[in-house]
Amino acid sequence: MPAAPSSTQQVPSRARPVPSVAGVAVARPEPARQAARRMKAVRRARRGVGTFLVYVLLMAIAITTVYPFFWTVITSFESVGAVFNFPPPVWPQEPTLRHYRTVVETVPLGRYVLNSTIISVSGVLLSVLVATLAGYPLARLKFPGRDLIFGAIIATLILPNEAGLIVNYITTIKLGLLHTSVGQYAAVILPSLASTVGIFLMRQAYLAIPEELLEAARVDGASELRIWWKIMVPLTAPSIAAFGILQFVGFWNSFLWAIIVLTDKSYYPLASGLLDLQGQFATNTRAIASGTVIAMVPILVVFLFGQRYFMRGLEGAVKQ
Amino acid sequence: MRAATLKARLRTTLVAYAFLAPALVLLAIYTFWPMLFGTYLAFAKYNVIKPPEWVGLDNFRRLAAQAHFWTGLLNSLRYVMVVPVIQITAIAVAVLVNRRLPAIGLFRTAYYIPVVTSFAVVGIMWGWMYNQYGPVNYVLQLLGILDRPISFLNRPSIALYAVMFVTLWKGFGYYMVLYLAGLQSIDPSFEEAAVIDGASRWHVFWKVTLPLLRPVILLCSLLSTISAIKVFEEIFVMTGGGPAGSTYTALYYIYSKAFQDFQYGQAAAASLVVAAVSLIFSIINFKYVRGGQI
Repeated sequence: MPAAPSSTQQVPSRARPVPSVAGVAVARPEPARQAARRMKAVRRARRGVGTFLVYVLLMAIAITTVYPFFWTVITSFESVGAVFNFPPPVWPQEPTLRHYRTVVETVPLGRYVLNSTIISVSGVLLSVLVATLAGYPLARLKFPGRDLIFGAIIATLILPNEAGLIVNYITTIKLGLLHTSVGQYAAVILPSLASTVGIFLMRQAYLAIPEELLEAARVDGASELRIWWKIMVPLTAPSIAAFGILQFVGFWNSFLWAIIVLTDKSYYPLASGLLDLQGQFATNTRAIASGTVIAMVPILVVFLFGQRYFMRGLEGAVKQ
Repeated sequence: MRAATLKARLRTTLVAYAFLAPALVLLAIYTFWPMLFGTYLAFAKYNVIKPPEWVGLDNFRRLAAQAHFWTGLLNSLRYVMVVPVIQITAIAVAVLVNRRLPAIGLFRTAYYIPVVTSFAVVGIMWGWMYNQYGPVNYVLQLLGILDRPISFLNRPSIALYAVMFVTLWKGFGYYMVLYLAGLQSIDPSFEEAAVIDGASRWHVFWKVTLPLLRPVILLCSLLSTISAIKVFEEIFVMTGGGPAGSTYTALYYIYSKAFQDFQYGQAAAASLVVAAVSLIFSIINFKYVRGGQI
């Protein structure tokens, strides 16, 4: 806004020649131009105020979404005083790692982290494999039953299946999965390995690849498996990455199914272990806060590194 | 020649099914079978050890006699109130962050952090936020909205709404990203044309942008309605159905019937009821958002 007066003096030289009569500049357009300039300045100022208000609003929402995390972190580091203070602290008074030690010593957090890692990594790898394989024939091969299978997969997205939890529990018991270590991990990941969303996403990604590439490969005598692995998988890497991150978040955060199905708590993933911890330490808020921070950090790190793909993966579901 | 093409087609079919085999086997066991067997279980008595025994509508009759079932169903319907709130918030925030401003990516990230956090973590954190001496009480007293601290999750009349707020807090970022994608896929020439015709910004948003977003709105409201009816994890972590059974939702009821009382038949019957209800809501969503006005 303050720049407006000085620009009035500079602009005429750059602007169109001023209409003149007998060498004397006609004064008429000047006020109009000044008015236009003034209006522009006002508009810019208004936009400046608008931007400021937008930032205030953005800030307020950001504080609401981030504050609970912030409070938890401060509480986990605070060594003294009551847990709840008025006003709530904005920085730990005497930072300490004591509560972290308490949690690590009393709860097998290392084991939970290991379990979560095994569950998430194998879950992501296998579900990506299942979806990338299944999407290919649905997108690029003609065979009897294709529309029926695709229809059934789409139907699972719409038809509600609340009984899934009950029947899957019964199935897991009947399969005897809970008798071995590998079986316990398998019991946790198997029900969510075939992701219908993932199959759908991969099919859409394959559909975008030009047919000429496939024809050329087929003329050269490449098998379908080779085409899938050498052409389809590399060309759809961004979609695969996005789906992989989505799955990682899902597997890392899962807790309910593990709590239902696992009788042996030493196979709990971190989030399930955290809830168990809350039961054990009901009164030691700071220890639970430390456990919560430990459970939170890995997924935030993965998210911050992969967020570009992650957002794009979600957007891919809308854009088509 | 014909034999050769037939052979080629047979080979393609075999290859296709080989690619699909892992997915189909897993879906058959963990998705399609539960739908079939779950429906059967709703009409049966079952305790895992003995084979299920057909009992007709018995399970449904027992359900109807249970207060918690009705509370659960009613609360699940109440929970649908969160849908318009969460969608309007998500659209508004998406419009807000859909501009080129310095550090705008940072804000998008901040709004998305709750989305990627486990309900286990979120539920525990909000337990503290809502504590009688916690930050929410502090802020509300500071603003003069409350004159005395209250324990949000221990009040039967408030607990469900307090949990609803957490659902909003955790979920709007997810829909925000979907709406953002929708906004960015709108051809700017539509909006520009309206501006040239002299439409105000508000008018453009209402008459041009929003109608073009309709497919995304359908998708998002469908997703959020279904998950509102099925709300469970928030309840499980934050209130456990309490206080005094006031926050039972349909799925919390199903969970407690199946995994605490081991009444699989009744739990399956309740599941069937919930499935029917969410199907009805999906149809309503389709009809109104796709066809007529938003």
